[in-house]
Amino acid sequence: MDEAPGLSDQYRTASPWPVFIALGIPISELGLLFGLFPLAVGGLLLFGGSVVGMLSESGYVNSTMWASVVFSVLLFAFGSALAFTEVNLVVRGYATIAAAALLVVGGVVFELFVREQRDAF
Amino acid sequence: MEVNGQLALTVLMGVFLIAVAAWLARVEDWRSYTPLAGGGTVGGTAEQYVSEEKPSGVIRWLTTVDHKDIGILYGAYALVAFAVGGLMVVVMRIELADPASTVISNTFYNSLLTSHGITMLFLFGTPIIAAFSNYFIPLLIGADDMAFPRINAIAFWLLPPAALLIWAGFFPIPDVIPAQTAWTMYTPLSAGAGSGNQMNAGVDLMLLGLHLSGVSATMGSINFIATIFTERDEKVSWANLDIFSWTVLTQSGLILFAFPLLGSAILMLLLDRNFGTMFFSVDGGAILWQHLFWFFGHPEVYILVLPPMGIVSLVLPRFAGRRLFGFKFVVYSTLAIGVLSFGVWAHHMFATGIDPRLRASFMAVSLAIAIPSAVKTFNWITTMWNGKIRLTTPMLFCIGFVSNFILGGVTGVFLASIPVDLILHDTYYVVGHFHYIVMGAIAFAGFAGIYYWFPIYTGRMYQVTLGKWHFWLSMIGTNVTFFAMILLGYGGMPRRYATYLPQFATLHQIATVGALILLAGQIIFVWNFVQSWLEGRKVEDGDPWGLAEENLVTAEWTWFERKLQTAVTDGGEEEELATDGGNPVADADAESAADDE
Repeated sequence: MDEAPGLSDQYRTASPWPVFIALGIPISELGLLFGLFPLAVGGLLLFGGSVVGMLSESGYVNSTMWASVVFSVLLFAFGSALAFTEVNLVVRGYATIAAAALLVVGGVVFELFVREQRDAF
Repeated sequence: MEVNGQLALTVLMGVFLIAVAAWLARVEDWRSYTPLAGGGTVGGTAEQYVSEEKPSGVIRWLTTVDHKDIGILYGAYALVAFAVGGLMVVVMRIELADPASTVISNTFYNSLLTSHGITMLFLFGTPIIAAFSNYFIPLLIGADDMAFPRINAIAFWLLPPAALLIWAGFFPIPDVIPAQTAWTMYTPLSAGAGSGNQMNAGVDLMLLGLHLSGVSATMGSINFIATIFTERDEKVSWANLDIFSWTVLTQSGLILFAFPLLGSAILMLLLDRNFGTMFFSVDGGAILWQHLFWFFGHPEVYILVLPPMGIVSLVLPRFAGRRLFGFKFVVYSTLAIGVLSFGVWAHHMFATGIDPRLRASFMAVSLAIAIPSAVKTFNWITTMWNGKIRLTTPMLFCIGFVSNFILGGVTGVFLASIPVDLILHDTYYVVGHFHYIVMGAIAFAGFAGIYYWFPIYTGRMYQVTLGKWHFWLSMIGTNVTFFAMILLGYGGMPRRYATYLPQFATLHQIATVGALILLAGQIIFVWNFVQSWLEGRKVEDGDPWGLAEENLVTAEWTWFERKLQTAVTDGGEEEELATDGGNPVADADAESAADDE
């Protein structure tokens, strides 16, 4: 390890992401089932963000931004299926699409801001 | 009003996400990825060398992916769920001491009945097995950790939200009442049909919780299959893989095929309840639910019983002073049960009016499953035969397991027979039968494991006398309670009712007394467990059971021995200073000796 580590690098047997993945799933399920827009968006965002975080922590992906883009494409597809097909669950579909959009924004901001900061030094 | 509610929820969700992000930023310390910003130097070593494996305090438990920590988390979780489910049934048994509805309302009884079943099966049974398998399988097969440590952590952390959702109806949330569907969730009741109150959101929350616990179990099972297949030490072949790992491997296979089906069926039910689909409300819908549910539900029984059988097969020979008799056949019988378990589900449906030819075939397979079960039973008995039996607490629980398993198993053979089942179906006989297995066998094996491995995960020894009290009260309590139920069933007492005819009062009262004896035993257990963990005698020998004498040491004890030795050389444990002559000296003497130098 040649950098001063954060938790993921510092401790072999610790990761901050699993607990948030596990929270994201029920929150988004509750939001989608009962049609609670904020819960659905927040839960999916938490789930998606944590999955991306865990993937990049464990080295399965190199770019956080591209991982979040791929994840939001999946969310967008699911959301569109809910909102624009015969299923016709409009609120839930838009919630999923909103989460997809926010996830991309999050990925880009992370790439531009946090990565920028790292490279600056 | 509607808008305000949404607004409040949005703000809450936003605040929560910001809190998560802030916590993550703090824990992950993103800035520290750039060495200069942290004040370090490129290539510097002082701040970068890390010797610990885990953070300290609460963060350690929230972020751990170490299989041993996750095992302890599973165990703690399971024991809390066991206490909740146990206290629920104590209230029910007290209500049943009297034929009328006196202590609680009938609807509350139904709620407790539903939650007791789901809590004990999904929040206690599966997790307590996961506790043992997480902690010990990597040690037994010589793996560094599980194949997917992070997935392992996710699987655990799904469980607390699952429990909260399953119990949500009992919390003071406006307009949400507990589910009263029983754990089998038969439609049309669970689909909210009719004029009852089961259209309530409490049922949806319970279904979501159950779905989550299924996701968790499936993730765990994939992990165990991958671990046992790919992470074994070179010395561990299929031929000498230990019996506990064999049973967990088989169980994981069963979970992999059974739980996704439960998940799908629950989703269909949720769609029926909330989105106007008609899977279970058309003709044949009720029977469709039963087929889907029991195709999962019966393998679930073996998902719950196989690993405890593995624990007994592992622990019992250690205190019989012999190797497990017919090891190979115990493995074969495990695999046979695993395969057969998918061919028996309709024996839960003999009274539904399904085609008699179908019934006959399910009867045949159900009776056939008695054969591998009997193979195991005879192997345990033969292992003890002429052995050097030591009646330690774990051994007592193993023998109790075998005894109760025989009673639960033989009553099951009768139920497998269609003509007998048609008489006894939906009576207390069935309740007595399966409680002999789930309490008398599965929980007993759990206790055997908890006591047997207590020195490994606590570094201390439990209090032996209290352990014996726990066993005998549990053994007597189990048999009083559930034998009374079997007799109640012969008398025709139907199951699931909060009230009953006065003629059943005596046997019901005996069962209640038995349940209270069980309660007393479990209170002793909790006391023993907690106090011994905090203050028990420290274990200094890596072989506290004296297994080496009979050459019965298994890999986890070798690991424990090595850990104790490492701790001593690291100075991690209290260490007695010894002079050259090997005699311990007091601290004061040692200090003065140091001063002299």
